[in-house]
Amino acid sequence: MSLTDDRLLQDALAVYLAAQGYQRCEPPILLPASDFFDSGEEIRGHLYLTSDISGTDYCLRPEYTIPVCRHYLASPEAGHPAAFCYSGPVFRYRANGPGEFIQAGLENFGRADREAADAEILALSLQTIAAVAGKSLSVRIGDAGLFASLLEALDLSPQWRRRISRGHLQGKALAAILAAPMNGASTDHSGVLAALEGSDKQGARALVEDLLAIAGIATVGGRTAAEIADRFLEQAALKAGSGFPAEKRAIIERFLKIENDPDHASAELRQLADDAKLDLAAILDQFDARLGFMAARGLDIEAMSFGTGFARNLDYYTGVVFEIHDKDHPGGQPLAGGGRYDLLAKTLGAKEAIPAVGAAIWVDRLADCDSGVHHES
Amino acid sequence: MSHDAEGHPFVLAVPSKGRLQENATAFFARAGLTLAQGRGARDYRGTLAGLDGVEVAFVSAAEIVSQLAAGTAHMGVTGEDLVRETLPDADTKVALLTPLGFGYANVVVAVPQAWIDVKTMADLEDVAAAFRARRGERMRVATKYLNLTRRFFAEQHVTDYRIVESLGATEGAPAAGQAELIVDITTTGATLAANALKILDDGVMLRSEANLVASLTAPWNEKTKETARIILSRIAAEEEARTTREVSTTLAGFEAQKQSNASELFSARLRRRSADGHLVLSCPRDKVASLADWLIAQGAEYVSVASQDYVFASVNPLYEKLAARL
Repeated sequence: MSLTDDRLLQDALAVYLAAQGYQRCEPPILLPASDFFDSGEEIRGHLYLTSDISGTDYCLRPEYTIPVCRHYLASPEAGHPAAFCYSGPVFRYRANGPGEFIQAGLENFGRADREAADAEILALSLQTIAAVAGKSLSVRIGDAGLFASLLEALDLSPQWRRRISRGHLQGKALAAILAAPMNGASTDHSGVLAALEGSDKQGARALVEDLLAIAGIATVGGRTAAEIADRFLEQAALKAGSGFPAEKRAIIERFLKIENDPDHASAELRQLADDAKLDLAAILDQFDARLGFMAARGLDIEAMSFGTGFARNLDYYTGVVFEIHDKDHPGGQPLAGGGRYDLLAKTLGAKEAIPAVGAAIWVDRLADCDSGVHHES
Repeated sequence: MSHDAEGHPFVLAVPSKGRLQENATAFFARAGLTLAQGRGARDYRGTLAGLDGVEVAFVSAAEIVSQLAAGTAHMGVTGEDLVRETLPDADTKVALLTPLGFGYANVVVAVPQAWIDVKTMADLEDVAAAFRARRGERMRVATKYLNLTRRFFAEQHVTDYRIVESLGATEGAPAAGQAELIVDITTTGATLAANALKILDDGVMLRSEANLVASLTAPWNEKTKETARIILSRIAAEEEARTTREVSTTLAGFEAQKQSNASELFSARLRRRSADGHLVLSCPRDKVASLADWLIAQGAEYVSVASQDYVFASVNPLYEKLAARL
C-alpha cells in the first residue's frame, strides 16, 4: 500500500476520532530533540535529527504521546479531564520499512474514574478500526499494576523486587531472572561479605565506605560511596540468605501461568490470593470494575485473552495494557496497542501524577490488509 | 592509469595515517603488492605497482567504511568496530573477507573502579534503574559508538541510560563529571586503569581487528572482479605460505587411511605424490615437527621441511567468499 492510501486512512481516522468527542491535537512535526531526551535510547536511536543555525537540535516527531501530553500540561485543562486524538505522520528510523509512516490515536488525561476511562479507550480503539478498516479483531489484555501489587504483597527485599519486576517487563522467564549472574553471587569480595554478615547496617556501611577510602578510590561517576556501600550490603544480605524463598517463587510461578479469558483469570487470581493469604483485594476489585465497564460498552469479554505474563515492553505502563490484532492474522504485529501510563505527566514536569490512558493505531498495518476502504492493488 | 571500458578503475581504500597505514602497507607488501603513493606523502591517490587498473585511495579508516558502503571503493582495510558501528545493515553492504592480524582492539563497557558492587551487565542494569528512580535522570554513557552501544545495551536489557556523544578522550568523561560510565575501544586496558575505570566481566561488546572488506554495492564488472581475484589470490598465496610449511619425504604405501590420519592428527594435506613414493605435504607451521616424527615412525628415512614465499592454489577461498556474495 502506498503512502497516498495511508493518507486517505489518516483523514478518515481523524474525522472518526474527532466525532467521538476527542479534540484533535496535531503538534508540530519539527520538535526540539530535548523533548525526547529522557525517552530512552530505544527511541533516541531511531530519531531523525537535525539542527538549526544556533546548534539547537531538533527531530522529526517520532511519536505523539509525549508532545500531546506536553500540549495538555501547557493548556488550561492541565490536571483536569481532557481527551485528545491525533492522526498524522511520525518519523522513526526502521530497518524494514519507510521511516515516515502514519499513526492515529487517542489520549485521555485526568480522569479519576480510571477503570471507566480504560474501557472507553479500548472500546473506541476497537470501534474505530472496525469502522474505518472493516476488520474483525481480537484483543490481548494484561495489567502492569497487577504484577507490581503481587510483588509488594509478597514482601520481597527491594533488590529482588526490582530485578523481578524489570525482568518481567523485559519478557524474561522467572527462572532466568532468578538465575541471572550478579556480583553478590560471585566469589569475589567473599571475605568482606562474610565479615559484614550480621553486623548492623550503619556499622557495615561505615566499614565499606572506609574500605573505599583506604583503597584510595576516588568516587567518580555520580554515585556516592554510601550508595555503593548500600547496594553492596544488599548483595551481602542476598548472598547470606539461602537463595530466593521457594514458597514465594511458587506463588509467582502460579501467578505467571494464569492465561485465560479475563473473567476466568480474575477468579483464578482471587483463588491464588486466597490460597497464598495475600491481600490483592483492591487491585482485583479494580480489575473486575474495568471488566464491568467493558461489558457495559458491549465488548465481548469472553473472546479476549488475558495473560499475567503479557507486558508491553515499555517501562511507562502502570496499569491496563492491550493489543488489538487482526483476527485473521493473530500472530502478526498488532494493529493497535495502548495502556495506562499514570507517571508520564510527572516525568514531563507536572507536580503530581495525572491519570492517563491512551492507544496508538498503526495506520500502515491497517492498509496492509484488505479493508472496506482499501483493496489490494 | 588504465581504466576499464566504463571508466571505473578498481578502487582499493587503505588507511591514510598511523599504525594502521604502516600495517596495511606491510600486509600488501608481503603479498607482493606494493602501494605506490603519488607525488609525495600528501597525495591521496596511488597505484599498485605491477597491477594495472587499480587506484589506491588513502583515506581515514572511518571514511573507508562509508566509501565501501556507498560503493565508491571496491575493497578496503578497516576495523570491524567501525564497520559494525557505522553500518546498521553491514552484511547487506559489505563482506568481511578476512581478519588481518593487526589493529586489535576491543569495544568495552567500563565503569568506575569504585563501583565494587558492579561486575556484570546485570549489575549495571540494576544500578542504572536505581539511579534513575532516585534522581529522575538516566545514567550517562560517554561513547563515540552510539549504535554498537544501543544494540548491546538493548540485548542486555539495560534501558535506563542516556548516551553522551564523545569524540575523544572518552576515558576522562567520568572523572570530568560528563558521564557515569563509558563505552570505548581498548587494547590493553591500561588507559582505562589509569583513569580508575574497570571493564565489566561480560562487558566486551566486540573483539575487533583490521579486516579486508569488500563492497557489495561497488560497480563490479568482469574487469574489476578479475582484479579482485588477482589481489585476493596473492593475499591467499602469501597467507597460505606464511602459515604452512611444505614437508617432503619418500614413503611407500601412503594410502587413504594414512592420509586421513595425517590430516586428523596434524591438519596435513597431500599436495603431490609420485609413483616412486615421493610425497609433498603441507602442514601448519607449529605441527611440522610432530608430523615429521610421525612420518619417520611410518617408515620414512628423511623428512625435509621448507618454507615457501607463496603458495598459489586453483581454489581461492577469499575470492570465492566474495564471488558468492556478488
